[in-house]
Amino acid sequence: MARAPRTAAIRTRTDTQPLRFSPAVQMGSIEGAKAENGVAAPACNGGDQRNGGGGGALPDGEAEAGRRGKVGAAAAVLPLEVGTRVMCRWRDQKLHPVKVIERRKIPNAGPNDYEYYVHYTEFNRRLDEWVKLEQLDLDTVEADIDEKVEDKATSLKMTRHQKRKIDETHVEKGHEELDAASLREHEEFTKVKNIAKIELGRYEIDTWYFSPFPPEYNDSSKLYFCEFCLNFMKRKEQLQRHMRKCDLKHPPGDEIYRSGTLSMFEVDGKKNKVYGQNLCYLAKLFLDHKTLYYDVDLFLFYVLCECDDRGCHMVGYFSKEKHSEESYNLACILTLPPYQRKGYGKFLIAFSYELSKKEGKVGTPERPLSDLGLLSYRGYWTRVLLDILKKHKSNISIKELSDMTAIKADDILSTLQSLDLIQYRKGQHVICADPKVLDRHLKAAGRGGLEVDVSKLIWTPYKEQG
Amino acid sequence: MSRLSFRPRPLDIHKKLPILKSIKDFEDDEAPSTSSSTRNSQLLRLAPEANNEMHQNSLKKSSSEIPTPQFNVVGTYERDYSRTFAQPPSYLRGRGARAEIREFVEYDLDNEDEDWLQELNHEKKILAPERFETLLFKLEVLDHKARERAGIIAPTFGSSVPVLLQLDTAAEALQAHSVRSAVFPSVYNYWKAKREQWQKPILRRLQPPPPVNDTNPYNVFRPREKAHRLHTRRMQRRENNVQSFEKLRQVRRNLDQARTVLEALIEREEKKREVMESEVSLQRIQIKYRHEAQLIEDGFALSGFPSNSWKFGSSEDDFLDSDDTTSGHRRAQSAAVQNPPFTDSKLIVVPAGQMKREMRRRPLPHGWLRKKDLDEPVLLFTRPLDPDKLAAASIVQPPDPPAENGSVAPPYRFQGRIGRGGRIIFDRWNPHLQAPIVNEVNPSVPPNNRPPQPNG
Repeated sequence: MARAPRTAAIRTRTDTQPLRFSPAVQMGSIEGAKAENGVAAPACNGGDQRNGGGGGALPDGEAEAGRRGKVGAAAAVLPLEVGTRVMCRWRDQKLHPVKVIERRKIPNAGPNDYEYYVHYTEFNRRLDEWVKLEQLDLDTVEADIDEKVEDKATSLKMTRHQKRKIDETHVEKGHEELDAASLREHEEFTKVKNIAKIELGRYEIDTWYFSPFPPEYNDSSKLYFCEFCLNFMKRKEQLQRHMRKCDLKHPPGDEIYRSGTLSMFEVDGKKNKVYGQNLCYLAKLFLDHKTLYYDVDLFLFYVLCECDDRGCHMVGYFSKEKHSEESYNLACILTLPPYQRKGYGKFLIAFSYELSKKEGKVGTPERPLSDLGLLSYRGYWTRVLLDILKKHKSNISIKELSDMTAIKADDILSTLQSLDLIQYRKGQHVICADPKVLDRHLKAAGRGGLEVDVSKLIWTPYKEQG
Repeated sequence: MSRLSFRPRPLDIHKKLPILKSIKDFEDDEAPSTSSSTRNSQLLRLAPEANNEMHQNSLKKSSSEIPTPQFNVVGTYERDYSRTFAQPPSYLRGRGARAEIREFVEYDLDNEDEDWLQELNHEKKILAPERFETLLFKLEVLDHKARERAGIIAPTFGSSVPVLLQLDTAAEALQAHSVRSAVFPSVYNYWKAKREQWQKPILRRLQPPPPVNDTNPYNVFRPREKAHRLHTRRMQRRENNVQSFEKLRQVRRNLDQARTVLEALIEREEKKREVMESEVSLQRIQIKYRHEAQLIEDGFALSGFPSNSWKFGSSEDDFLDSDDTTSGHRRAQSAAVQNPPFTDSKLIVVPAGQMKREMRRRPLPHGWLRKKDLDEPVLLFTRPLDPDKLAAASIVQPPDPPAENGSVAPPYRFQGRIGRGGRIIFDRWNPHLQAPIVNEVNPSVPPNNRPPQPNG
């Protein structure tokens, strides 16, 4: 497949030429199957990142600063230029290295009074934010010496990638796949979050990424979402007025699953276009590489809700093409930040495979997977496959495993191979199913998340009407 | 031997793979220290339970510290959202889209609207925000309908969307809303100004999507290109016009002609089959005749008739040259002779004496029948070999077998004939009669008589 070489190429680039953001490995939360594009934290440099991210205090940053050569406070001319590297006090009250991405004047203030949009170089760019000058330690300001070298290396790489892009662009995809060149373009467009916060139901949530809201919303840093129809407004009074007339208490589709307080709704993007678009605008705030390029009418949205006497509150969702020519059973997946690390993401993955089983099809998530998406999927695949291998007594083929689980054969192979459970000996491939080894891998794969009770799924596969 | 010296075959996903329940079976005895094979066993060896727990804990600890942006609980939530929802016992069903529900006002006032309304109201209550919202919504819908009627709904957002709705039409249509006549024109003018500033409908549902070829990432939710539905090149070429209609008609004509040709072909083949069947039955009848003749001959032999004296067939060799018609003619002759005519060779129970008489009387047909091999209609297609011609073609008949015991060799001769494929065949032993081919010059020896006994 054409996909493999590209992923490899992007990895190479990531290894040799770190981008502005350094990817932080996050366990347990799903940020989106298709986000990140493999750029964030490939396995090879994940270990370093974990050390840096987990520690809190940052000897690494100091060392880095020393290597670059301090310019010193004397050279710190205000306002700081874009591209400046400096230490910044973060919410943990410690200093972290940042790079200035953008600056803007503070209204009604002195001519040199600016706010700075900074990227914490040791974290994912979801943590980029506007900071005041007081938060910056001006003693640590350094000029960005290696900027030009980086740019040169990038441009060389880009031409090769651009060539490849011409060959490999899949126009039909609902979500374009980014290569290095378009990734740069993407970052240029999205380097500063346009919306800083949203209010959605019970929660006020800091956003993670840029989302292409209509231009009328560009002047607003906080948006108020109706929890049910997901309409978004710029003022609280507008939301309150909307809430008085809004007649929805749950997503506007059919409930197809209910277990306890947990409900799943299927929303047809064609029948509920505005809702689907609202959902995409919202989801993009938390997914880096989701694109909203194409309209929503070819997708179905599966919205997971926790229900109480106020209504059905969205927890997360995944989208799915009505007809996928590449046997994708999932396009985008998101658990909203307040609900992350509670097992909902794994529930969503399991649910997507249960739908595939009902369809009698084998499915796979749309690629590329983000680091977090891949982690969650690997966990799910490992758990499902190893549970079968533990119980199974006789010989079994990959195809049979695929038929039992609706997991694509390629995914099964890559999972078992990455765990070293398939080997070639004495002229044939064998599967290792030592209970102790399997248990260890199962433990490492993490908790199973919330279980899908198939008996409570009332659903028929989508059929085109007329 | 290194395990890397041969390359593993690609894994066949349909092949059943053995499952080894013990890691020891899984490890290769020959190369126990190879890193690839021992990762799992090392996992077991080096990570005892306690160690593993610790590892898990540290993982958990670090994962909980991975930072994500934060969130807070909204203080006014409990007030804003009422506790009025009761889950029905059955699964909820979706209703139609909002656009289909008439009374629902899809539009929400934005900042601009609110500011304008505040200015309009001046602390007085001239127009309630809800009423204003409704008016703007109705204006949008009416204008959309007007553009629909005018047929200028653009499929995608190319140029600015014009305002078609006139003030008087709008006022007329919205009379039922009993807005004060002084207020409505200002609302209309505000709306129209806003529309002209936006250059597109202010109700999101009515805004046209960006064009397909627009690459601006800020513009979202493009329609999918129609061409993408056509999966094959053939489908992409086909258009619904006169040209393709003519093309399809041509295809139809061609197919009709092909059908006619095929039907004629079938008819011809059926005729050919009939011909073949009649030929087969013809030959069957010939075989029956010969079989009967054989039985008659056997009858002679059994009755001890001195068969050696039979000489009359020697001059009848020309029958081998005969084609179907002549042999058929002869068959007809003999059939006329036979009385009653037989239907099956097994039915022949003619008394030997009567047969004898007939034989004598009519030696001719019997002669050629007797000479022919019983079950070999093949002979119909063969010609006698002319020894002179064979010699000319430098084909020599195989020599006679050497004499045994010095005694005089029996007069073995080879019978030459032309086989079906045109090959020359020399028969030494008739496989059906299990008897040697008799000398051509001495054809009177009956096949069953086995004359060439060494001492006979």
